[in-house]
Amino acid sequence: MTRGYARLKALVVDWVLVSLFLLMVEFLVISFSGRRGPTGLLVSPEETLDLLHYAWIGIAALVLTLGWQLARGERGMSPGWSAVFGEEGDEAIPWTHTLRGWFTALLIELTFLTGWLITEVQLVTFLTQFNKATDIVRGLVNPSGEVLHQGLVLLVQTIFLAFMATAFAIPVAFALSFFAARNLTRGSGLARLMYTVVRALMNITRSVEPLVWALIFISWVGIGPFAGVLALWVHSVAALVKLYSEQIESIDHGPVEAITATGASTLQVLRYGVVPQVIPPFLSFTIYRWDINVRMSTIIGFVGGGGIGYILKPRVDLGQWGEVGTLVILIAITVWAMDIISAKIRERIV
Amino acid sequence: MSTEAVRIEGVSKTFDPDVRALVDIDLTVEDGEFLVIIGLSGSGKSTLLRCINRLIDPTAGRIWLFGEEMTGAQGARLRRLRTQIGMIFQQFNLVKRHTVLTNVLSGSLGRSSLLGTLLLRYSEEEVRQARAALERVDLGGRGRSRADRLSGGQQQRVAVARALMQRPRLILADEPVASLDPALRHSVMRHIESLNRDEGMTVLCTLHDVDLVRRYATRLVALRDGRLVYEGSPDDFDNDTFRDIYGTDAEPATGQLLGAAGAAGEETA
Ligand SMILES: Nc1ncnc2c1ncn2[C@@H]1O[C@H](COP(=O)(O)OP(=O)(O)O)[C@@H](O)[C@H]1O
Ligand SMILES: [Mg+2]
Repeated sequence: MTRGYARLKALVVDWVLVSLFLLMVEFLVISFSGRRGPTGLLVSPEETLDLLHYAWIGIAALVLTLGWQLARGERGMSPGWSAVFGEEGDEAIPWTHTLRGWFTALLIELTFLTGWLITEVQLVTFLTQFNKATDIVRGLVNPSGEVLHQGLVLLVQTIFLAFMATAFAIPVAFALSFFAARNLTRGSGLARLMYTVVRALMNITRSVEPLVWALIFISWVGIGPFAGVLALWVHSVAALVKLYSEQIESIDHGPVEAITATGASTLQVLRYGVVPQVIPPFLSFTIYRWDINVRMSTIIGFVGGGGIGYILKPRVDLGQWGEVGTLVILIAITVWAMDIISAKIRERIV
Repeated sequence: MSTEAVRIEGVSKTFDPDVRALVDIDLTVEDGEFLVIIGLSGSGKSTLLRCINRLIDPTAGRIWLFGEEMTGAQGARLRRLRTQIGMIFQQFNLVKRHTVLTNVLSGSLGRSSLLGTLLLRYSEEEVRQARAALERVDLGGRGRSRADRLSGGQQQRVAVARALMQRPRLILADEPVASLDPALRHSVMRHIESLNRDEGMTVLCTLHDVDLVRRYATRLVALRDGRLVYEGSPDDFDNDTFRDIYGTDAEPATGQLLGAAGAAGEETA
């Protein structure tokens, strides 16, 4: 990294921080002057999208940032500068003696205040209105027997939904994980390309929540447990590829060398040098994934993906707390049992 | 072709960023030799052995194996050439979770059917050969054990059996007894010697122990800082030549050459 590039990086960090500082100050001024709009942010959509306004703030921040750099002698280092170049000198100066200390402290305060307003924190309501929630608690401790049968049936569906999603994920994740392991993809240009493509695809897939995948698959295969299976399947593949490939990257290379040296082909090297080393941890990860999938499949029904969540959502909406209580207890027992079972099995494997 | 097993011409290897592990090595190994390579750790012995079977690609130079060029070989041709070279490692490098027998059978991967080997299926003839190889290293009864249940010395004998199963013409042994209890070193070296004497395999072996060098080597070369600095007969290998090779500070104490990796594996079984 050249010195010029490092300086630019430090400047950008400072500029972003100072801009945020100014934006939050402005927001607080608007809020306390009583002109807060319905979005909780700025007054009107037009003002929110007023780019010129942001340009002014950006320019002001830039001027302040540059000014700080010019006055670095007297005022001390800026946050970006010290992040990129490290501390100068070895004297420990208390934060109250530096501009950077005050700036950072104020920035944290501002962020907290802004967050308080944006998330509409209402401490008083929280502390005084507990009685409104007692209905739910009463329902939880007085579960109604009415949904017990339907709940149990759907619970079985939930567990199998999670199981099928995991089962379908195993072969796909297994095959892909070899391409996502750095140590196996150094050879040719094609291998390196595969690595990059698989990694990128899996990262994107994993960053989309299963509930969103459920919505996509519901419009694809219709409402029901199969959509839930597909949603959890996609997410599980991405998650397992990450775990599997990291495991492959940490294998002992000795057996790989030994098998390669016998004149074995690539597939044989994988089968003898890699696979035996990764099978036990793969099993462990897979069972853990099934455990997670059971948890997720209890709520995938909220959007129509099958499982017990499918009958839970309308009862919450209608305020039938006794029935909600039954279902929540069923879910809790299942999740708890899966947790213990999966932990026990994994203990045995490794 | 002649009686040359390996010919190495001008081989250099530079690792990133600037580690000169091998510098312009010229070396010829005659067919049937038991050639021992010595040198401090870091002198390039492992790198040299790995360049020969191309686990490492040399940066410069050429290598021939029984008259066929190793350097530049790719794909099926490289694999075919590798079947001619067995390798024995300091850390044994068995497939720990496989049985001893499967480990021995993996020596024949280069010539067995792909599908069969992927399913761990071998012909009766191959299994018979593997059992015979195990008998040869005195592990006849242990075929069904998991490889990591065996002691270090036994595991290294399984590695010798794997090399026997491979039926190569050349053996590369990289500090084959450095991880073993000194009392057990001969039990492994004897079998490597048998590969050389009884099976006619050429052996290239790195060692650290003066006694072992004198006992097993038919010829001796030494590396220092990636250069070949000595070549001679093991009979001429005395304390003076030892200091020539290792430097005046070195002391051949208790038969152990300087730089030997400590005996890490214990023999328990
Ligand atoms: N994969 C590698 N990457 C970088 N440097 C290496 C690598 N392998 C070996 N070296 C370096 O090359 C030199 C020779 O190593 P090596 O052949 O293992 O020596 P020896 O087997 O004689 O102990 C050492 O300096 C070592 O650090
Ligand atoms: Mg070495």
